[in-house]
Amino acid sequence: MDLARQAQAGDESAFAEIVRRYSPRVFSVASRFFRQRSLVEEAAQEVFLKAFTQLGSFEGRGSIEGWLTRIATNTCLNMIRGAKRRPELTVSDLTDDEAQWLDQHSGGDGREQPSVENSVVATDLADRVLSVLSPEDQQTLLMIDGEDASIREVAEATGWSESKVKVRAFRARKKVREAMAKLLNRGDK
Amino acid sequence: MKDKHIIDVLDNTSIASLSESELSEVQTHARECVSCREAYEAARLTGVVLQSRAQTKIEPSPFFQTRVMAAWREQQAVESVPAMLRLWKSARALVSSMAVTTAALAALTFMLPAQTAPLTDQTASMLSEESVIMGSDDQVSYEQVLSTIYEDDDEAR
Repeated sequence: MDLARQAQAGDESAFAEIVRRYSPRVFSVASRFFRQRSLVEEAAQEVFLKAFTQLGSFEGRGSIEGWLTRIATNTCLNMIRGAKRRPELTVSDLTDDEAQWLDQHSGGDGREQPSVENSVVATDLADRVLSVLSPEDQQTLLMIDGEDASIREVAEATGWSESKVKVRAFRARKKVREAMAKLLNRGDK
Repeated sequence: MKDKHIIDVLDNTSIASLSESELSEVQTHARECVSCREAYEAARLTGVVLQSRAQTKIEPSPFFQTRVMAAWREQQAVESVPAMLRLWKSARALVSSMAVTTAALAALTFMLPAQTAPLTDQTASMLSEESVIMGSDDQVSYEQVLSTIYEDDDEAR
């Protein structure tokens, strides 16, 4: 709170300390939405500049980190809404690596972890199936199913009610599962 | 759960968050039910790729803080300039061009010789005798004007 107050009073070193301390958190949030470093940095910079202008509205009830997380989430959602929508998921776009990954990993056990060398392909596949969702649903599902965040944590990060988060997660999970099933059944068509 | 389809379970929660016993029940059912097997497989792989995606984090570069502080200083500098000065800076070009135009028009009006148009007959006839006499340089009273006019009328008779 003191740091926030000092920064609000125009103390440059206090603002620099906020940036230093919380940029890993802001980058982590922005990384959910973007994979390109330039976009993540652009979003993170906007978050801190916006945070500085809104320091007056920070009343110190919650943590600075929580407050910045919410600003970061909203900033990234706005950036994505303004960007061009990705084309609809098509099986024919599947790269050889992605097809091979799916073949290799089908029929495994329940809680498999992808190997490091395959993580780029798995991440590409994740982006492919997530593209069927709205940015809000993508963020919800990534937090809950990807990062093991609780419903409450998502509600705090987004400002939505817990019931809204539950509904979004259910709907998103169903859509993404169907999209993945479509990719898995590509040979049957 | 043996006779109950598991699709709702799969959509309600991630496979990673199922307990061992729940997972075992889901897998048992999936082995026996074709449609649920497909759904389970899709949900399982979705969980794997989402966890992989969530691990893809970009760390701040060493220059990030410097970049943000530079942008912050720039923003501060803009905000510290008084509003009227900022308004002047943005409107300076417009105001200057308006002033030059006005000066040019004034110069054209006062510097060039005035062109007086000759009076037409119609304009001349509109001038009354009274205004001609009153407009003369001599100091004359209104009575003198009237007497001058009526003397002329009397002479004419």
